[in-house]
Amino acid sequence: MKLYCLSGHPTLPCNVLKFKSTTIMLDCGLDTTAALYFLPLPLVHSPRLSKLPGWVSKDGAINLEKKELLDLSTIDVILISNYHCMMALPYITEHTGFTGTVYATEPTLQIGRLLMEELVTFMERVPKAQAATCWKNKEIQRLLPGPLKDAVDVWSWRKCYSVQEVNSALSKVQLVGYSQKVELFGAVQVTPLSSGYSLGSSNWIIQSHYEKVSYVSGSSLLTTHPQPMEQSSLKNSDVLILTGLTQIPTANPDGMLGEFCSNLSMTIRAGGNVLVPCYSSGVIYDLLECLYQFMDSANLGSTPFYFISPVANSSLEFSQIFAEWLCQNKQSKVYLPEPPFPHAELIQTNKLKHYPSIHGDFSSEFRQPCVVFTGHPSLRFGDVVHFMELWGKSSLNTIIFTEPDFSYLDALAPYQPLAMKCVYCPIDTRLNFHQVSKLLKDIQPLHVVCPEPYTQPPPAQPHRSDLMLELQPPPMSYRRCSVLGLPFRRRYERIHLLPELARSLVPSEIKAGVSVATVSAVLQSKDNKHVLQPVPKPAPVPPSKKRKRVMEEPPEVLNPKPLLSGAVPLEPFLATLHKNGITEVKVEETADGHILHLQTEDVLIQLEEDATHIICDNNEPLRTALRDLVLRFLQKL
Amino acid sequence: MDSDCLSLLPAVCLVLADPKQSPPDDTSLEKLLDWFKELHSQSNGQVLLQHQPCLLEFISNVCTSKTTDPAILSFTLKLTGLLAATTQGFNLLDEGGLLVYVFEREAWGVCDLWEDASVRSGWLQGLLDMLKHQQALGFICGNGLIKVILQLQNDRSLFVACLANQLLVHILNFLTSSNMTSGSDVVGSSESSLRPDWVSASSEIMNAVVEALSSEDCPRVLQGLRLLSLVLSQCGEPIISTLWKDVLVPLEVFVNRGSESLIQTLITVLEAALGTPLLSQSEYKVEELLEAMLGDGNRKECFQCAALIVKLEKCPEVLKRKATDIILLPLQCVSTQPQAEKEINVVLKEQLSQKASCISLLMQSLSSLAQLAHTKYLFEDISIHSITSSVALLLRMCSGHCPSSLLHINAFTHLIGCCKVQRCGLDTLGALSVYEENLDLRKDIFGVLLDYLQSPDSHATVLKKTFQAVKRWIVCSPFPDLLQFISHDLFPVLEKRMCDLRWEVRDSTLEFITQLTAALNGNSGFSEALHTSGMVSVLLSSLADAEGYVRASAVAAVGEAVTASFHQTVLVSNSKLLEDALMQMMAILSQDTEGFPRRAVVQAFTSWLKGSHLIMALESSLSSVLSLGGSDFDWEVKMHTLELAEVLMEKTLTCCPYAVQNFGSSEETRFTQALIKFKDFGLFDLLFNSLFDCDRPVCEKACALLVKLGTLTAETADLDHSILVLNVCGNRWGDEVQRRYLNKQQAKASVCVTNGVTGSDEGTDCDLHCTKDISLPKILQILDLDDMQRMLTLSSDHVVNSPRSLMEDILSAAQQSEENIVDCY
Repeated sequence: MKLYCLSGHPTLPCNVLKFKSTTIMLDCGLDTTAALYFLPLPLVHSPRLSKLPGWVSKDGAINLEKKELLDLSTIDVILISNYHCMMALPYITEHTGFTGTVYATEPTLQIGRLLMEELVTFMERVPKAQAATCWKNKEIQRLLPGPLKDAVDVWSWRKCYSVQEVNSALSKVQLVGYSQKVELFGAVQVTPLSSGYSLGSSNWIIQSHYEKVSYVSGSSLLTTHPQPMEQSSLKNSDVLILTGLTQIPTANPDGMLGEFCSNLSMTIRAGGNVLVPCYSSGVIYDLLECLYQFMDSANLGSTPFYFISPVANSSLEFSQIFAEWLCQNKQSKVYLPEPPFPHAELIQTNKLKHYPSIHGDFSSEFRQPCVVFTGHPSLRFGDVVHFMELWGKSSLNTIIFTEPDFSYLDALAPYQPLAMKCVYCPIDTRLNFHQVSKLLKDIQPLHVVCPEPYTQPPPAQPHRSDLMLELQPPPMSYRRCSVLGLPFRRRYERIHLLPELARSLVPSEIKAGVSVATVSAVLQSKDNKHVLQPVPKPAPVPPSKKRKRVMEEPPEVLNPKPLLSGAVPLEPFLATLHKNGITEVKVEETADGHILHLQTEDVLIQLEEDATHIICDNNEPLRTALRDLVLRFLQKL
Repeated sequence: MDSDCLSLLPAVCLVLADPKQSPPDDTSLEKLLDWFKELHSQSNGQVLLQHQPCLLEFISNVCTSKTTDPAILSFTLKLTGLLAATTQGFNLLDEGGLLVYVFEREAWGVCDLWEDASVRSGWLQGLLDMLKHQQALGFICGNGLIKVILQLQNDRSLFVACLANQLLVHILNFLTSSNMTSGSDVVGSSESSLRPDWVSASSEIMNAVVEALSSEDCPRVLQGLRLLSLVLSQCGEPIISTLWKDVLVPLEVFVNRGSESLIQTLITVLEAALGTPLLSQSEYKVEELLEAMLGDGNRKECFQCAALIVKLEKCPEVLKRKATDIILLPLQCVSTQPQAEKEINVVLKEQLSQKASCISLLMQSLSSLAQLAHTKYLFEDISIHSITSSVALLLRMCSGHCPSSLLHINAFTHLIGCCKVQRCGLDTLGALSVYEENLDLRKDIFGVLLDYLQSPDSHATVLKKTFQAVKRWIVCSPFPDLLQFISHDLFPVLEKRMCDLRWEVRDSTLEFITQLTAALNGNSGFSEALHTSGMVSVLLSSLADAEGYVRASAVAAVGEAVTASFHQTVLVSNSKLLEDALMQMMAILSQDTEGFPRRAVVQAFTSWLKGSHLIMALESSLSSVLSLGGSDFDWEVKMHTLELAEVLMEKTLTCCPYAVQNFGSSEETRFTQALIKFKDFGLFDLLFNSLFDCDRPVCEKACALLVKLGTLTAETADLDHSILVLNVCGNRWGDEVQRRYLNKQQAKASVCVTNGVTGSDEGTDCDLHCTKDISLPKILQILDLDDMQRMLTLSSDHVVNSPRSLMEDILSAAQQSEENIVDCY
């Protein structure tokens, strides 16, 4: 059993598990932090950005965490745990010869599609006249300024995929529901379990009859909108692959939410605008819910909230229809005449308005001061670029970062100098180290595999020994391009007996509760299932004596020799010898048993735990007689 | 009233002694006893028993009855003790042998009643009450009751055991004091005057203590120690030193053994010993024992012991220093680098590595330190500077910062985010602000406190403690340097906290601003910062908060800000601020649905008025505050309004010392002018309405104010009544005044008629008709305020609470139960 680690990013994992005869890819996250090396893609011509010295804006390119570690076409299935972890799917399923199936839950597929479409729209609506690749040459890159010259693996940066590729990739997705058991080639069974992180997010169990591997990715124990995490099914795992813990372990989501609300209301009270760069699905639902409750108490009732994204409408609507994937509290609302999420009410009362982009209706209805939720959190593309240009100059305005994926200082770099206030309130509801150590104590996996960063304190806080995994035995850690041999050996395989064969068996009890029988059968292996069938009767020998095809003749069936079991007890055996006229016996004790020396006959009998030897020279009748005496004490099968 | 009750007493006694009646509930019996006690204390010398023979009968009935209820028996025991507290009473009871009968449990009709704890405690209480004279003492000693009391000392009921201890101490005390008096009265040695059975009684008690201390049974030892500490704190010489000599050996054994369960009690004993003359004599080893308890800081329990010693008031200095050194060890161990390997205390290190003991040790350390700081204790071996830095560092560790040099102790992970230690540490840090030596640490400390204020993870209670600490440090520091900190660092954080999700945080932030503004009252730098930083507008917007408590705190904060603004050189914004504040506050007073904000508004006006600068500016709003506040449906708002009225009266009536005396204006005219002003403010409407309010405290307050006014009016002889005429029509108080007025007139008229005097000179006829306007002095006169005040001071339940009604209740309950029995047939 091997694990190929294609990504070293702890929250955007991409691992391949070879288990029995299957090759399973676990998630394919897309690390877009490389976008930070590029200039923002403005929607409206920005004289300031275009006047920046040095480099003209290039195509939005993306870092793809892949290496030629293994042939992608050999992958049988891809298991997706949440919509953030599937963004690289088109790179894997398209143009690689991939012929397998992708498994994901319905919300994961739908919201994942939205996020991909949004990304594509962001890229395609500001097309680039030219694409440049020459600079990626090591020689040229060395001469480049600033951080760009230190960027690693620039050759793996790829152009963004297209809508066709997205559609084609998503057509390979097979939908699954929580706890649904999916058979893979009869060899293993995979099951998604609710992970509590986002709509439709799942952990996976991959098990055969005798082995169980759990894959935990992006889970949350907090009470937010999705269905709570299912923990008990993760028990008794041989291996637990642990990824997707919180990226900001020092920030408690509750405290950050409070921080978010107080900064927001402080800005609004002072007459400023608030910009929240965020993904179009996920934490935004919780933010809107929190604000819904907070608005009245903070006297923000009349402040408009704008949600701008090409998929804003679909995202808000989709969230309301995935009732079965929601937490209990919201599920029960489905039976009432009110929608599960309160953002519907915000929309009805015109407090929350959503637009596909800043062009069109938005520009005529836009009113300040206001709160704008829009993407992309990297501040390099999407409508957020426009608001940064618009509001950056006033110290009354505030930008509040809630997504933890990007360093906010790097994201802000091209907009400096900035008068706008910046607040960093990363809200990451995924498991923290305290929760995960409690979880692991509970579910007791034999071995834990995790990304290397989890095995040491964060580099910025080397003294925080509480912010790492401390387990006994210590977890196996991986980094990008590691290949791990998972530390357990498969020892058993399940084989079926056909009823007619079973009927023919004669079990004999060798000790209480254990019976043994010999089986003679033909083992048939097909589709990773093994069946013992009765031995076919030898075909009646054809009258013709011509044996043309000797090879086809079934093997001659011999009755197998009986198997012996039991031990020869010394005293009764001596008594039997005596009865049979052998009286002069010298008994010698050895490490393994006894040696009997029959002095008159000059015969040695070695009685050992697992063997008995009769040594006598050229006296076959005596040997046979002695053998029969020994056999009296043993059971035959 | 008592004579009424006394006439009911025989019947009550019959009911209580009647075994067929179910006894009244405990509280009635307790109340009855209270009444007897009161009667007893009033009747100096006059013996109740002589006049109420029914009591004797009652007592003997209860004791002989075969079916007495334990509650009644317990009551009887207590009553007998009370009655026997005087020598006359004692003799009366003793004559018939009744006393022996009552306190000799073998003589009771029902023997197993002793099993009931209430009976045992009644028995002890009775003896305790009785023990007021030597005869009683003789009774106790002579009848061998000491033995029983000593047994009860180990009773399974805590109350009984505690009472037994008290009784024993009382007996010992009495023995000594009667010894002294008899020693001085009678010529001859005191030893000879002491009756032999008394000597044996005291030695019996003391032997029992020694025996208890040498026993292996922990609860018995504890009781012995408790008695010992009571003796030490309540008895005099020679008892104390005699007893101490005997118990010293077992005490030393306990101290050296250091068993955890006894520490607290041992310390109480030693604490009591510290307050006695034993301390000054070295052969009694009091100090030595305490020192032995501390050890050298290497025992688990020494920290608890040190924490207790630090709290002691009369503690020798050397000992206190040692205890202080030990109690500071956990704090220092966590927050300083060890000098050398050998210095690390193994026991301490082990304790600190476990979460529960680590937190409790640090809390003990911190709270002891805070206690020392409250008394401004002078630390000798350790500089207060380093202690304060340690506390600051500990607080940093609690929020997840730790210098790598301190990772030798793994206490750090226990501390991250630990609210308990945070709160305790912040309290201590605040207390440490009293030391001037810490002044140069101020920057660091404000840094820590600011971190706590900024941290999104700070719990609401932690924030509250942080605010308290910040205030203490700001108030004690020289101001000019602080201004930068306040306006650049503190105010922005406060502004954010006022937008916090949790209302508790918003509330404590506003409270903090109020306190800070009040504490820095008169500091122009601060008031200027408050106004120029935009803080005031944030405060004003908090007046519209969704939570009532927060609005109330916002009102108080705005009130203080307004007060502060008037200490400043006049700014244009000031009048604007007052205008805005007044408008919003009046809206709250008239419209807010919750009581707290409305109360706060009235209180703000009161404090403004007290400050006296603002009277002119407030005059326009005062009358509406008085009328709105007076007609509020929250009684506390009404009370606060009356307090406002009181301040207004005081301010207006007392002559301002600096005011230029108007030429020709006499005392009288000033008073009249004041009254006219009151009338304009609607003060009289408020007072008279409140006088007839449905809430008694409100009436009482209004009445007190009116009485004051009445006295002043009466003093001012030539007051022109015609000027102060009030309209008494169309309101409730007016109707009441009119009714009383008419009643009086009618009474007068009827008197006139019976006397045969025609009312030609008085003109009663015309007065009998509805009168619209009556002058103020006349109204005050009609209302008979003194009588009203007397009625109002009686609590509303004064009728049902009287002993008479209590007895009637007992009787009627008995009657009813009889009726019920009849009903059953």
